[in-house]
Amino acid sequence: MDVHFINPFVEGVDSVFQTMLQVEPKRCPVQVGHKGNGHSAALTSLVGISGQVQGVVVLRFPPETALQLASRMLGTNLDTVNDEVVDAIAEIVNMVAGSAKAKFNCDPPLDLGLPTVVLGSNYKVKYPSGATWLKVPFESEAGNFTLELTFESH
Amino acid sequence: MKALVVDDSMTIRRIVIKALGIAGIADTTEAGDGVEAVDATKADKFDVILLDWNMPKMSGIDTLRAIRQAGDKTPVIMVTTEAEKSRVIEAIKSGANDYLIKPFSPDQLAEKVKGVVGAPA
Repeated sequence: MDVHFINPFVEGVDSVFQTMLQVEPKRCPVQVGHKGNGHSAALTSLVGISGQVQGVVVLRFPPETALQLASRMLGTNLDTVNDEVVDAIAEIVNMVAGSAKAKFNCDPPLDLGLPTVVLGSNYKVKYPSGATWLKVPFESEAGNFTLELTFESH
Repeated sequence: MKALVVDDSMTIRRIVIKALGIAGIADTTEAGDGVEAVDATKADKFDVILLDWNMPKMSGIDTLRAIRQAGDKTPVIMVTTEAEKSRVIEAIKSGANDYLIKPFSPDQLAEKVKGVVGAPA
């Protein structure tokens, strides 16, 4: 996978966080792996992209970060991970993926699946052998989080 | 003035409703998918419809077509992550009055709404 695939998604994170959350995320160096990384985050939101480019976009959040982000997004103070937080986190990954997919400029446009959120950290995910994952940790005033993606182009 | 807010995300519906308040519209009805939206337009009259694209049961573009085929001329603003030019053209050809790409600020949405319905009295 071309490491430059990550750039539209990083720009998507910047755009969504600045516009909808008033947060300035700081990008850390890209990491490359051949299997899904550890799952220490308590909230994992993911969305599939299909078409000429196929892959999965994942955002992983510690609960404190998820609560901060959902509170900012909804303009209220949330202190428990509930349906509101899950919905907000799902919409964040949806907007990041949507913002990125337009930049691939595919005709016909790439299709987005509906976002999914996994709660908890005690699980394993099996990926196709040989799949390469790109991982970008972010720091922000709302807490740390991680962007991960795997892609292949046809 | 009355608005119909259609999005499968409760979060986005809340943000849109808040932005409608900036535009002076406090009377809102929510729909979580296209089927609910079409039912709402049959049961009630609205001054503007804010419509997501990617939703379960019925997509926003199919919802838009269904509303127009029913003869409903209520102004529709697509509010969506679908940012490709071809998508925008498809929506406008299908009867959308305006198009707002997520992410958006409440002020951007309020301006779009004022643009299609005018400033409320």
